[in-house]
Amino acid sequence: MSLRVKQRKGVDFFDALLMELISPFQKASTFVVKTVHGVFQNYIILVHLQKENVMLKQKMAELQQENFQLKEMAYANERLRRLLAFREKISSSVIAAEVIGQDPSSWFKSVTLNKGERNGVRKGMAVISPEGVVGQILKTSPYHSTVLLITDYNSAIDALVQRTRAKAIVEGKGENRCQLKYLLRSDDVIVGDMVVTSGLGGNFPKGVTVGEIRRVDKKEYGIFQYAELVPSVDLTKLEEVLVIAESSLPKREDKGKKMKRSPRAVAPKKK
Amino acid sequence: MKRALFSLVLGIFFLALQATLTPSLPIQRIRPDIVLILVLYWGLSTSPVSGGILSFFLGFLMDLFSGNSFGLYTFSRSLLFCLAQLFKGRLYLESLLSQFLFVFLFALFEGLLILILLSALNPAPLGNLSSLFFTFFLPQSFLTGLISPLLFLLLNKVTLFLFEQHGMGIRE
Repeated sequence: MSLRVKQRKGVDFFDALLMELISPFQKASTFVVKTVHGVFQNYIILVHLQKENVMLKQKMAELQQENFQLKEMAYANERLRRLLAFREKISSSVIAAEVIGQDPSSWFKSVTLNKGERNGVRKGMAVISPEGVVGQILKTSPYHSTVLLITDYNSAIDALVQRTRAKAIVEGKGENRCQLKYLLRSDDVIVGDMVVTSGLGGNFPKGVTVGEIRRVDKKEYGIFQYAELVPSVDLTKLEEVLVIAESSLPKREDKGKKMKRSPRAVAPKKK
Repeated sequence: MKRALFSLVLGIFFLALQATLTPSLPIQRIRPDIVLILVLYWGLSTSPVSGGILSFFLGFLMDLFSGNSFGLYTFSRSLLFCLAQLFKGRLYLESLLSQFLFVFLFALFEGLLILILLSALNPAPLGNLSSLFFTFFLPQSFLTGLISPLLFLLLNKVTLFLFEQHGMGIRE
């Protein structure tokens, strides 16, 4: 060996030749091995990452769903708290109900409630929300009822202008609008005046907000003036309402039709 | 019988959708009348007796869940079904445009009919309802007509799949 190392003359050539010949193979082999190794390693990592990604996505979806439910519960809680506070404030016995459907037709304005005759709901009862008047019970079945909204053409409520105590009838005008009818021309009414229930109809308690006057049209002739109001309740976004179960109402209906009334369903007034 | 029962369930499902889903659409004022589309589809594809009874019943259900106490939809939906039956096989309803026009014109006709009936039956004058016809019912009828080809196609597919029977009058 030492001799060969010392006398390298003839060997160098062969060594170099062999090296040059083998090296490309070695290089290719290394490349293939590295590539395979890399791909394999990357694949494993990717599979792992993919699994992790799927798991994280699932987790995120679960958390989002949970978050959504919590938010929804918080909103419902807020609404129900306001409803409860309002229920305690008013001096009538009320039935809390949930809106389960809107009017399927476009001409009429009504909503369906999840409470009916078995819960103490009767035809003609007033329906309100913490923001104001919603409507009146139009139809009842044992466990459901239909409310005619104040914006329906067939709806009419006795009301008065809060500031001047001017009397009028609030009639539905469709599409989230009402009109004040039989409002005397001599009455002082301006845009922005609030309209409240007069309590004369017998169904609604006195002083419940109906809406705000948005337009007054006082013509130069005639006995009455025309006013348009927007309901204080957003009737397109109703979720929970209160049905006022006045004691006088069932008596009036009992003449024509006797109905059983569940004492459990009608919550007593809290003082 | 099976088909009639399926149609009944479908009708109730469509009514439930109309009372819950369509009011939550972005434009609440203008919402498509999917029950009307179904009644017209029945008019073109079912027998006069079963389809007539179903249309009457669906109209009655609409009256029941709406603030209407005159039974207007019971009348109008039955009438529209009968009219659709009259046109069955006489109209070319294979193109999307013809399906759109068919439903659009029927929706307009129903709007006009209800307007006339409401004005005639109400003891007190209902104010200026006619202005609503152009500002509200025209766009709504247009929207109802617009989605009708899609619903017709879906109803046809479902009918074909379940009963291996082609919806008469309307082809894909």
